[in-house]
Amino acid sequence: MAKRVIIVDDSRAVVATAELALDGLIGSGVIEFKAYLNPEELLGLLRNGSENFDLLISDVNMPEMNGLELARAIKSDDRYKTKPIIILTTESSEQLKMTGKEIGVTGWMVKPFNDEKLVKSIKMVLGV
Amino acid sequence: MEKIRLLIVDDVEDNRLVLHAICRRMDDFEVREASDGLEAVAACESWRPHIVLMDIMMPNLDGFEASKIIKARFPEINILVVTAVIDPQMERNMASIGVVAYLHKPIDKELVRFKLQSIANVLRTKVGKHIKPTSKNALNPFSNDIRNFKTIFDVEDAEGMMDFGVWILMRCEEQKNLVCSKVDPMIELFYLLMRQSVRDGEILSVIIEESFEEIFATMQFSKSVELKGKALELAEEMQDDLIIHANIVCARLNMGIEIQEKVPLKKSLPTPIVEEIKANKSIRIMDTEEKELLRQSFVQKTTAIEYIEEIGGDVLEEIRDLESLDSEWSDILSKFEEEPSIENMHYFVDRVLGVYVRAINNLFEFTALAYAISSLGSFMKEHADEIISDSIKVKTLVMLIEHLGSDLVSWREHIFGLQDAGDIHYLDSSFFSSCMQIEQIIGNKNIENDDDNDMEFF
Repeated sequence: MAKRVIIVDDSRAVVATAELALDGLIGSGVIEFKAYLNPEELLGLLRNGSENFDLLISDVNMPEMNGLELARAIKSDDRYKTKPIIILTTESSEQLKMTGKEIGVTGWMVKPFNDEKLVKSIKMVLGV
Repeated sequence: MEKIRLLIVDDVEDNRLVLHAICRRMDDFEVREASDGLEAVAACESWRPHIVLMDIMMPNLDGFEASKIIKARFPEINILVVTAVIDPQMERNMASIGVVAYLHKPIDKELVRFKLQSIANVLRTKVGKHIKPTSKNALNPFSNDIRNFKTIFDVEDAEGMMDFGVWILMRCEEQKNLVCSKVDPMIELFYLLMRQSVRDGEILSVIIEESFEEIFATMQFSKSVELKGKALELAEEMQDDLIIHANIVCARLNMGIEIQEKVPLKKSLPTPIVEEIKANKSIRIMDTEEKELLRQSFVQKTTAIEYIEEIGGDVLEEIRDLESLDSEWSDILSKFEEEPSIENMHYFVDRVLGVYVRAINNLFEFTALAYAISSLGSFMKEHADEIISDSIKVKTLVMLIEHLGSDLVSWREHIFGLQDAGDIHYLDSSFFSSCMQIEQIIGNKNIENDDDNDMEFF
């Protein structure tokens, strides 16, 4: 069954470039891809159980809510505690990465991303 | 790293404020002010700035007299004249005492920033790479009378070659008086030799020495050098400004005052070199400035509300005017998709992206955003032929640029409309990164494959 990969990023351009990078995985039915521009909306849907994921890819700087706050909120919910979250951001400060690590995110990738590396990492995390 | 010390000299407080604001985001600058020529000279004595932004018409001691005194006592200080005086004679006088540039008011913020950053880069190169500051032993066979630093490039790959090329071009652009007639054969010759050496797997050093009038670039090989073919022709073209001796090839460039006609450098670069540099750039390599822009981190977050309070009316109007551009953004883009021609692409870049860049440039805070848009525009123009001949590329490009357009609409809304963004810089780096990503997708350029963008697993 296709793995559900969700990306949350306020930028449509980022979502589109990520979708193009993952085109092969989507086309071959390995993953299904869903994007949210607003982290608060995603959090609401996860909380009321109408959304779910096998992997979440999140930006950090978003106008409504910071991606690390989002990750913290999701990780504090027992249903999603063990689900992998990858941070995809232009931020590369060690301090932020430490925060991510404490929250329990799985990995950190810096934008602009290399397509092949993104695909490889996602396959590794999903075990596909 | 030592900060670049910048002294702003102007008798009008408002002008000082504007210049200060321009430098506000240049983190590695330490700025002080002086309100006339006398204060400027005193500050140069006590504080030794690296760069002085100098007005001309001031009480007590005017900018020209002050610059004369400063250049005589501290020739290493870079003076940039920023003035409302339009007087070619004054410009020549200033050039004769060795000011770096003469900029006219009203102040062009981007130009001032660019000039400051360029000088800072040159200063850093010296700071970062010079041998002992006291070493005055000349390596070049032309002159022993050199200043007490050397700039060294270790060339072992294409990137090293680019570093050296960029440095020389930057020096020529800054040094208005540099006689550039010999620069072209010199660069081409050095390029041929460097390329050969890189191909042979050797490491080559290029050592730059400078006097006040001349630059000496010396290539030091591991064995003696013999020039053949094209290299020999270029060497002959340089006549007595080139010396080949055992394992050394040294070129001399004059910083003479008399120049007949300066050919714009970018155009005069030999085409094969430009192409080769481009070919080497099939990987999207970020230069240092781009990296800094992309990774700039604003420690103190400014909220949209605070920001709008600070910038006030006029600028806000201008940003609101951009709304009228939203429909043009998609209309002109659709037209390009229907009729993919160079003309339609240029029209979009100039009419839509260009207007955006100018408006955003008026906001002090969003240099990265403006830079990203304008470099995307240049990329599109440069690759126009390649794009319009490939319908899939046209479609993909249009789709991605439409998304960038929506991102900018949403950005304006969060910052200037709703003013609900907790951090006004939430989009900058991401937008910049998307533009690079588009270059990757459309131009088949891979994002640099280095450790920086490896996934870091926790």
